[in-house]
Amino acid sequence: MIELKHLRKQYENATPLKDVNAVINDGDVISVIGPSGTGKSTLIRCINMLERPTGGQILLDGVDITAPKYDLTLARRRMGMVFQSFNLFGHLTVIENLMLAPMDILKKSKQEAYDTGMALLRRVGLAGREFQYPEQLSGGQKQRVAIARTLAMDPDVVLLDEPTSALDPTMVGEVQAVIRDLAQSGKTMMIVTHEMNFARAICNRVFYMDEGGIYEDGTPEQIFDHPKKELTRRFIKKLKVLELNVESRDYDFIGAGAEIDRYCMQNDIPPRTKYRIRLAFEELGQQMLLPLLGRTPIHVTLEYAPTEEQVTVTVAYGGERFDPAEGDNELSYMVLKRAVDDLAFSFDPEREAGNVVRVLIREKA
Amino acid sequence: MLNITKNTNETELTVSLTGRLDTTTAPELEKELRDSLDGVTTLVIDMTALDYISSAGLRVLLSAQKTMNKQGEMKVVHVGETIMEIFEVTGFSDILIIE
Repeated sequence: MIELKHLRKQYENATPLKDVNAVINDGDVISVIGPSGTGKSTLIRCINMLERPTGGQILLDGVDITAPKYDLTLARRRMGMVFQSFNLFGHLTVIENLMLAPMDILKKSKQEAYDTGMALLRRVGLAGREFQYPEQLSGGQKQRVAIARTLAMDPDVVLLDEPTSALDPTMVGEVQAVIRDLAQSGKTMMIVTHEMNFARAICNRVFYMDEGGIYEDGTPEQIFDHPKKELTRRFIKKLKVLELNVESRDYDFIGAGAEIDRYCMQNDIPPRTKYRIRLAFEELGQQMLLPLLGRTPIHVTLEYAPTEEQVTVTVAYGGERFDPAEGDNELSYMVLKRAVDDLAFSFDPEREAGNVVRVLIREKA
Repeated sequence: MLNITKNTNETELTVSLTGRLDTTTAPELEKELRDSLDGVTTLVIDMTALDYISSAGLRVLLSAQKTMNKQGEMKVVHVGETIMEIFEVTGFSDILIIE
């Protein structure tokens, strides 16, 4: 079991990990996903101490491997790493790449290291390539050798840092097949990946990383189908988001309209949908809410899901409960209803902007 | 942006609209109509080049309709499909004469 406690990694200009806390159980297969620059690779490089954390602790079966006097080779024997760029020794043959560490570190005999290496090469589908050099192999074959080399140390934990990112698309499948096989072997695994379908197929847990930590931790079903938190939902659905804040009654309505137009153009949103977005924004924000509200700001969020070709407009505002359907601006409400397929109001008195209206912009004529 | 062009033929006034009739531009049309309707018996609103209308624009049309009910008639012409949808759903298609 690995426990991460208040893990922090800070560079001069960035802090990818602010406060990471997690328990990784034996046998867990965890996909680490998230936008670029959210510390995914940093996290797994910290776990096996390729990067020394700035703060916090990593406990491997209760032992703090970040402690100053801890012998890191003990942890590294138990944690293998597969890199995006393979990192094979180019001057060694395939089988020599696999035999080196078991002989040097585990003190295995040459024959034993060779036999294990050959068995692993068969497992990754590369029997017959043992005397070739890395440069004679394709990218997919190199990565399979790299995985076999990691397994040659018989680690308890395998960490994979975007193992298919550097590959030609035609070779991704062969490497994924090997990783899928490995995921069923019972070893603890963490894999940083951008391949969502693959992540979903092999793992029992998903870490969605954002805002300097593990923003949401859940099963693949939860994260991919029913994410609980906002940024996870936006990432999974590949949502294109525009946020507008109406700070006062004198806000720049024309400027906001221009921003909506630009957002629609950038995302190839059809003119009819754009018209309805503008209507929803104007009727709800400008006509119905603004005149009533000393409760500004009004926060407007547009979300476009390209895969579903749907636009959702969410308008959040503070003050007493106010449902636009119960207001006296019937004309605006009628026009708004024409622009949308679905309109939902909710009120949570505990929240600062407790009134929330969410509309789904009508797509059909 | 809304461009308003006026043409008078005796007591008939044609107002051609180009652009958007929304929260920011509706007051301009309201003012133009208020200043121009004296003695007018037929008001024609030409929407050939109107791209967008919101409830703010509908209110101005309704107000003009009320004025013209007292002194003649008002017609809205060349209404595009999208704007016609708005007229229909709000019941304006029953209130206005649309040609």
